[in-house]
This record gives sequence, C-alpha cells and structure tokens, in this order.
Amino acid sequence: MEIEVEEKEGYNIVTPNGELDVYTVPLFRKVTLKLEGDRRHDLILDLTKLTYIDSSGLGSLIETYQKVHAAKGDVAFVIDNPRILKILKLVNLDQVFRIYPNVGRALQAVGVSGGYVDEEFFSDRNS
Amino acid sequence: MKSYWRHEDRTRISVSLPCRKKSLGKARGIVKKFAVSHGFAGDAEDIALAAQEALKNIIQHACPADNTMRFFCTISDGTMVVEVVDYGMGFDLAAVEEEPSSPLALHGRGLKLINGLMDEVSIKSGQNGTVVHMEKRLKEHV
Repeated sequence: MEIEVEEKEGYNIVTPNGELDVYTVPLFRKVTLKLEGDRRHDLILDLTKLTYIDSSGLGSLIETYQKVHAAKGDVAFVIDNPRILKILKLVNLDQVFRIYPNVGRALQAVGVSGGYVDEEFFSDRNS
Repeated sequence: MKSYWRHEDRTRISVSLPCRKKSLGKARGIVKKFAVSHGFAGDAEDIALAAQEALKNIIQHACPADNTMRFFCTISDGTMVVEVVDYGMGFDLAAVEEEPSSPLALHGRGLKLINGLMDEVSIKSGQNGTVVHMEKRLKEHV
C-alpha cells in the first residue's frame, strides 16, 4: 500500500492506495499519527483508491477519527467504492463518519477555510 | 509447521496453516480462489474476508498448543461452507457475541463483519477448541 498526503484548502488529505488490512495498518497508523502532531488538525481521508479493508483497517480509521476529534479537529471520509461502503455499513460506521462521494464535496461540506472554494479542483477530482 | 492444503475432491479442500498473522493473506487467497472456481465470483471477496476474520480471532484469542489453525471449504447443493477450526482453549461465546458498545469501539467488530457477510453463521466453542461454521448460498439458489 502507498499513502499520499496532500495539503489542500487547510486540510490534510490522506489517500491510502491499495489494501488497508492487518498487514498495512502499521504504515497507515504511522502516517496518520505523524499528521496528528501537525498543527492543522483537520483531515480528509480519501478512500477512493482503497481496494480492500478488514476489521483491522476499520479499527485504524476509528482510531484516527477519535484522535483528530480529541484534538478538536474535523474528519471527513471520501468513499466511492460500494464494497468499502458496504463494509462500513455492516459495522454502522456510516452512521458516525461523515462520508462524501468525492474530495470536492467533502471540502465543501466541512467548510473550506475562509469560504474560498477552488472550483477547478472540485470539478476535476473524481469526475 | 509448514502450511498445506489438500483437495479431498473437487468440492472440498482442507487447509492447515501456522497460527500467525502471515498466514491470513494466504488463507484469504485460497478461499477466494476456491469460491471463484465454484461460481461464487460475486461473493468471493465477502467469503474470503469472513474466513480471514475468523482466522484472525484464532491468532488473537485461541493460542492452540499445536500452533495450527485449520479451515475447510466445501460446496454442497449450491452452498459454500467454510469451517474454521482450532483446538485452542475455547472462549466465552456470550462475551464474543456481545455487540460492541459503540460503532467507535476499537475492537469487537470481526464477528459482526462475519455475520453481515455470510448467510448463516454458527459458533461452537468449548474446552477442546472452537468451530466457526459459515455458509454462503449461490445467488440463484437464494
């Protein structure tokens, strides 16, 4: 698994690429815990490149969500893969996480800092 | 121990793997391949994930003395059965089946996933070990 980290509109956007499971959770935790030390606490977890998730992966998403919230940060999830969404629904995480179909929608929903909206970014991503 | 698997006939496979995390990916691959080869391509990922979660429970909780976890895949009358077996110390079923207190609880969602992914699930656990029995029916047989 590879993990991309990008800063956009004051949010850190973390995009794991591949499988988030018992084998790759340590890398994911390492990346997200490092970001936790960042003064910009708000986070978007872009899971559109995720191909597989197990209960360990779900646990790592919850851990990240809880740590960012404990630091008074905000978290939004981007999921367009019906299979990943199905797994989250089975454990009722869809009732807790704020889930959006693309990064642009997530940025709009969580309130881009200063009210600035990068229209080009919104229209290009995941279209 | 070394891992091995044996096709007892075209409709049944038995697999033994060392009781460690490294075995989970191998088990997932074996279950998925077996499911696809018997017409369960649409559900193969679900079945393989359920099997992996059951095996992960063994690694985390059962600690069998022979350091081995076993599973069997069987096709019968349009149903794929996966049985995950260990000869460990068993566990308190009531405690395991208890719902996590919150969706945000850090642990305890493996069994919930198994129940959601498979059509039928039953667990027998005692002093001599545990059997997790899981069934998935072919879509056209549902």
